[in-house]
Amino acid sequence: MTIDNIIIWFQSWLPANFSIISLYLVAVLIAAIAIFAIMAVNALVAVYAERKISAFMQDRIGPMGQGPGLHAGKWGLLQTVADTIKLILKEDIIPRAADRKLFIIAPFVIFLGAFIALAAMPWGPNLIAADMNIGIFYILAVSSFGVIGIILAAWASDNKWSLFGGMRSAAQIISYEIPAALSLVAVILLGSTLSMQGIIESQAGTVWGFLPNWNIFNNPFSFFAFFIYFIAGVAEVNRTPFDIPEAESELVAGFHTEYSGMRWAFFFLSEYGNMLVVAGITVVAFLGGWQSPIEGVMQGAWWGLFWFLTKMTGVIMIMIWFRWTFPRLRVDQLMSVAWKVLLPIALFNLFGVAIWTLLVG
Amino acid sequence: MGLVHADEMTLNIGPQHPSTHGVLRLKVKTDGEIISEITPIIGYLHRCFEKHCETLSYEQIIPFTDRCDYIAAMNNNFGYVLAIEKMMDIQVPERVKYIRVIMAEFNRIASHLLALGTFGLDVGAYTPFLYMFRDRERILDLFEITCGARLLYNYMWVGGVSHDLPIGFVEASYRFLDEFEKNTKEYHNILSYNKIFIERSADVGVLPKDVAIDYGVTGPNLRGSGIKWDLRKDEPYSIYDRFRFNVPVGKGTMGSVGDCWDRYWVRAEEMNESVKIIRQALDKMPRDGDVHEALPKKVRPPKGSIYFRTESPRGDLGYYIISDGKGGPTRVKMRSPAFTALSALSEIASGWMLSDVLVILGSLDIVLGEIDR
Amino acid sequence: MKKYFLNIWETVKTLLIGLGITMKHMFKARKGNVTLQYPEEKWPRPDRNIGFDLSNYNVIRSKLHVDIDDCIGCRKCERACPVGCIKIDTLKVPKGTDLGLTSGGTTKRLLVSRFDIDMTECMFCNLCTYPCPEDCIFMTGGPNSEKQPLDYEYSQYDKKNLIFEFATLTKKEIKKFTTPPPPQQEILKND
Repeated sequence: MTIDNIIIWFQSWLPANFSIISLYLVAVLIAAIAIFAIMAVNALVAVYAERKISAFMQDRIGPMGQGPGLHAGKWGLLQTVADTIKLILKEDIIPRAADRKLFIIAPFVIFLGAFIALAAMPWGPNLIAADMNIGIFYILAVSSFGVIGIILAAWASDNKWSLFGGMRSAAQIISYEIPAALSLVAVILLGSTLSMQGIIESQAGTVWGFLPNWNIFNNPFSFFAFFIYFIAGVAEVNRTPFDIPEAESELVAGFHTEYSGMRWAFFFLSEYGNMLVVAGITVVAFLGGWQSPIEGVMQGAWWGLFWFLTKMTGVIMIMIWFRWTFPRLRVDQLMSVAWKVLLPIALFNLFGVAIWTLLVG
Repeated sequence: MGLVHADEMTLNIGPQHPSTHGVLRLKVKTDGEIISEITPIIGYLHRCFEKHCETLSYEQIIPFTDRCDYIAAMNNNFGYVLAIEKMMDIQVPERVKYIRVIMAEFNRIASHLLALGTFGLDVGAYTPFLYMFRDRERILDLFEITCGARLLYNYMWVGGVSHDLPIGFVEASYRFLDEFEKNTKEYHNILSYNKIFIERSADVGVLPKDVAIDYGVTGPNLRGSGIKWDLRKDEPYSIYDRFRFNVPVGKGTMGSVGDCWDRYWVRAEEMNESVKIIRQALDKMPRDGDVHEALPKKVRPPKGSIYFRTESPRGDLGYYIISDGKGGPTRVKMRSPAFTALSALSEIASGWMLSDVLVILGSLDIVLGEIDR
Repeated sequence: MKKYFLNIWETVKTLLIGLGITMKHMFKARKGNVTLQYPEEKWPRPDRNIGFDLSNYNVIRSKLHVDIDDCIGCRKCERACPVGCIKIDTLKVPKGTDLGLTSGGTTKRLLVSRFDIDMTECMFCNLCTYPCPEDCIFMTGGPNSEKQPLDYEYSQYDKKNLIFEFATLTKKEIKKFTTPPPPQQEILKND
């Protein structure tokens, strides 16, 4: 169900002289609403999951409720709904010295970065909003769009602390793009194609008879490429151990200190949207996308969606696990990890995968 | 072409901040990331403790000493009552001496747990903080069954203690100590030996020996710099000379001697030593005795003055009391160890990055209630 | 060169150990849980059996309560309080007035017309409960639970409602007790 399919479906029952431009716009709108719904639901569910999982790791129980009424639903399921309602009803404060136009635009720019990357995410065998033959290249290109939003937010807040956070974040995201891209190039070499569906389809089959032929199991170089990409991806999203830009105990809240209410909720939404993007790419490139782990079992259009969501949830849970275990790295240590550790290993990996493809085929 | 000169900006790590341990204001001159000068500005928690003491009687001052260093309240009480008992020449019963040492050492463990937990929080590790607080809650439960209060006790009185130990206290403390020793291993695995934590704290904020002595820094901060000085061993007060324990000293295992990791390590090891002291005290304590038998009818020390110092979890806590023979003192001065530690901050934190400043502040373990009184 | 790889190996090893600990805690969440879901579950007040005959001494720190019928107006609690949150006014009664006995058998000689305790100032140090000769001021709960049940959830919206007034004399009674009776002897003489 790509956008093209939607247009064809419309044309099948509408009169033939309907302008294709308006059909195109309607199809794009449907896809956009679907993706926005996925991002919103993801934020709700991921926030609840994060609070509960972090609570269990810390020997406590997270938000709880005792049933309907005054409480937040059984097991606190309605807690995020209550939080959202509270955020909508909050007063909208813009500091007097802040640059109004930039202040208002900034959250939307970050949101845009996550949103347009999700347009190329293959949710199932034919569930993809834009089936381009340069899918991964496109995602790599737009995923650093969010940096602009962060710098806008930091600058427009007219707050020295936010400025600190914004500058650190810009440096961090730009540096970690490179190891991420290099490890994805290794995957592209293995799959010989840039398109997302192509990479997933090249991971069909098995290795040694029982392991699925996902890129993580394919050869030892791509096994390490998975970890490089995952660490670089966690750094892209500004999650601990790389969450210096929004370091809670140092800069209060970093670049989004001055935002309150629904604007802050947009930052939050974008952070979880970015997590979704990184998890999605990890799953597509290394974990086989929408393919099931056992050959032939539970394979098909809707099963593909199920597998994709399950694997993505697993990757997000690992990100949450990381956040609550590790202390955070200082800015210069973060940079040295990117340039001195991840980059050489990623280059070496690329070389290794190239040799492997040449020799083993 | 002249040199490009980057301007320095003055930043305010304000009184309200998640990471300053209390209401402390730090004026920081920085050129982006590297700090060139720090000025701590205190006084936001000043409650006129010393002036207020001039109008109160000696027993009424004891709850106020609690509130100065509110994390290690028993040790504050301890120093104060020992000073007055020395002035009045009161001999307390044996059981009271053991009870006081047990309570002081439990509070030392609780205070160090809080110090280490909040240090982890400053560095970004959210989970060890909660594990350490879970253990601290068990200590506070022990205090609650003894005197009813969890944080501010008013427990040690001149000539005795306010309540005797309840039935079941000794067994409960043994159970706690056994479980606590297992948990310390877990803390080391999750925080102390974690490579990210070591990278953040080793070689950062080195406090050289001569600077420490110049500023008058005492306690774990001094021991982290390699100087072995502990008032419980070098000038023993109460019955500390009857117990066998070691004094941990920073050796620069992960970096240089006197860095933040060393101070952290000294506190973690001191908790183990306190466990040893408590075990020995619980074994040797006399099983019965009246804790109220040496309470004086009226607390009226003779004319004169005394300076008495004890080892609180933060360092060398001193009380200087001038008495005029009346029911209340003429002057009480408290020498707070965290004050000297904070004054050393500007020397050791210059030249580091902003994130490091907060790590150094966390490793010095200050409590604003004690600094501002 | 070797140090570089050793560094990486050390990092990975310690990070994996840390991850193992949090995962272990996550699966033991039901047993290791320390949260108390207040107000459905309340922390049980510990059973206070200290084994010595000091059972009069309260170790609870909760709300102060005064049994005003037992108060003899000695003001020892007012003097012991370090912050001055107890305010007592007593009245001298003319000779021969019978004010009754306290529950401990002491005759009351002074009338307590005002006994205010400001719980917003109280610092819960318990110093007022020890000097009372009649044990009439105590913190609720604990060994004195029969006289007054435990009460530590007494928050109010208005600060003035936290000033507890324990004296029970009405204005008329105070006036009755402070004006002296007409002299009996004069009337007899003039007869």
